[in-house]
Order: sequence, then C-alpha cells, then structure tokens
Amino acid sequence: MIKKNLYVVLFIMTAAIALTVLVEFFFRRPYSFHGTVITPPLPVTDFSLQTANNEKFRLSDQKGKIVLLFFGYTSCPDVCPVTLATFKQVYEKLGDDAQKIRFVMITADPDRDTPEIVSAYTARFNPEFIGLSGDITKLELIWKELGVFVEKQDSGSAAGYLVSHTASVYVLDQNGSLFMTFPYGTTATAMTDDIVQMLK
Amino acid sequence: MKSKIVIFVLLLATLLVSACGAASGELTIQDAWARPANTGENGAAYFIIENGTASDDSLMGVSSDIATAAEVHMSMADANGVMSMQMQDAVIIPAGEPVEFKPGGLHVMLVNLTRDLKPGETITLTLNFKETGNVVVEVLVKEP
Repeated sequence: MIKKNLYVVLFIMTAAIALTVLVEFFFRRPYSFHGTVITPPLPVTDFSLQTANNEKFRLSDQKGKIVLLFFGYTSCPDVCPVTLATFKQVYEKLGDDAQKIRFVMITADPDRDTPEIVSAYTARFNPEFIGLSGDITKLELIWKELGVFVEKQDSGSAAGYLVSHTASVYVLDQNGSLFMTFPYGTTATAMTDDIVQMLK
Repeated sequence: MKSKIVIFVLLLATLLVSACGAASGELTIQDAWARPANTGENGAAYFIIENGTASDDSLMGVSSDIATAAEVHMSMADANGVMSMQMQDAVIIPAGEPVEFKPGGLHVMLVNLTRDLKPGETITLTLNFKETGNVVVEVLVKEP
C-alpha cells in the first residue's frame, strides 16, 4: 500500500516536471531585439581618434566591451543632448554592468569640436562617457564605413552653420563588429534590455 | 410677428455670447522646461502653447537675456534617420489646438548661453505672438 502511494507520488512529480519542460519548450520565445540587428555582425575597421589631453582611443583596445557609438556635435541643442541623456539613463539602469560598456560620441563637426570640447561635453552627462574628435580624413573613413551621413547646413541661425547627421546609435559587440543600430528616439529601457541580452 | 423676431434675435445673441464664452480663454504656456547646459553652449527650451482664444495666432519670435539669440527651430528626421534642424520664421498656433515644443521636434534654441543653466534654476523667456503680443514665461531647468 505504501509502495503504491510512493509510485503515485513519483508519477505525479515526473508528470509535473515533464509538463514544465514542455511549457518552457513551446511557449518560451527567443528574445527579440528592439534595435535593428545586423546579421551576421559586420566587422569594423580599427580606428583611433583623440579624446581630451591628447589621449588616444583605439577601437581594438575595447575588445571584450560593447561599444555604443553616437555621432553628433556639441553645438546641437536638441537631438544630441537627447541621445546623451538617454545614454546616461542606460548607464544608470545597467548598474555594475555599465563597466562592460563604452559610451562614445564621435563628432560630426571637427571644425568646431576639438577633442577637448567633445570630451568636456560628454563628461557633463557622465564623466565616463568618451568624446572623440580628430582629423577630418580619419573621421570621414569612419562615417563612410558605418553609413553615417554628415552635412553642414547654412541655416541663417546666429549659431552659425548647423550639421545634419545620422542620429542612430551604433552598437559594436565585444569583438568590435557592428551588431545592431538603435534609431533616434529609442528609449533607455529598450536599449538597456538589448544590452543586457547581449551580455548574456 | 415682431415678438418672434425679438425672440429670434435674443436667441441668436445668447448663442453668440455663449460661443464667445467657450473660447474666451487666453493663450497660455504650460510645462516650460529647459535642458541643463553650460555657458557658451547652445541650450534648448520646450513647452506647450495652448491657444484658448477664438482666433489663430502665430509665434513670431522669442527673446532671452541669457543667450546671444533665441531662435525657434524644428528638428526633423528623414527616412534614413538623418536629423536636421530648420529655423522657423513663424509657428502657427491654431485656436483650440495645443502646439507642443518637445525634444526631437519644435524647440527654442538658446544660442551661446551667457550663463550656466543648472537643474532647479528658473530662466525667463519672452514669447512674441502676432495677436496676443508678448508673453513672459518662467522656464524650469531640469533633466529630461
């Protein structure tokens, strides 16, 4: 009698485990990224640009980290600070994992943005954010490779010329390959979720 | 017959008065805020304009004593995700329809700030409307 009860209990337990496994198998969907994923990830040619104090930032030195790249200019009052403010929120949401990410802004306006100016600008959002500028020929190669559109625009503004530029965020994976882009306006929550998924 | 005309005229007058009453509000500026920024940088201010008057109005310009110039710009994206800004000569504010100035859209660009804008501070902007005239707005500096 006791033996029979034991079999019943064993049967129920096995059935419960089997059911859980089946539910997990059939209903768990693969993670769907908010950003636009590039398949397969596109290797990016190594580059080196300047940050403040004549220091160099070389892409290949960032291996093992995810790099978030944004192209903008410091005279830009609206779109660029919006993206950097989003970066700031992503950094905070990630907690300790933020150390596995590099948040980088590369200027789209090297004539006015020196490495010092871009670095001071990004540091105002977070001292760990990296602001880069450099020689126009180096910058143009990077813009071209990633498909970043940059054009000076005479606007009649007292601010002088404005710069039209691609406002997407480029996400480079731990191998330095272009893994995904976030269109302008992607929320900090969506970016954070995608990055957490990449870190898994 | 005469009394009917009087009643009709009175009714019409009542209707007109109540119609005016419904739109007798003012043009108001709500939720004004500006992004923190440093001296020498370009800042941005945002708000919602509600035109409670009976007629359309236009924002003709903005002035500020904390920047070299204050201009109205519109950020816009094309199909390829390229963002650009266009300076606006005038922005039509339709009667009864709120116009929102917001990040990535219409905004006031504060060109070459003459002072830092720190969170918690308040700055003053003067908005010049074609019909309403000048409206002074208190703008709170805050993180978005």
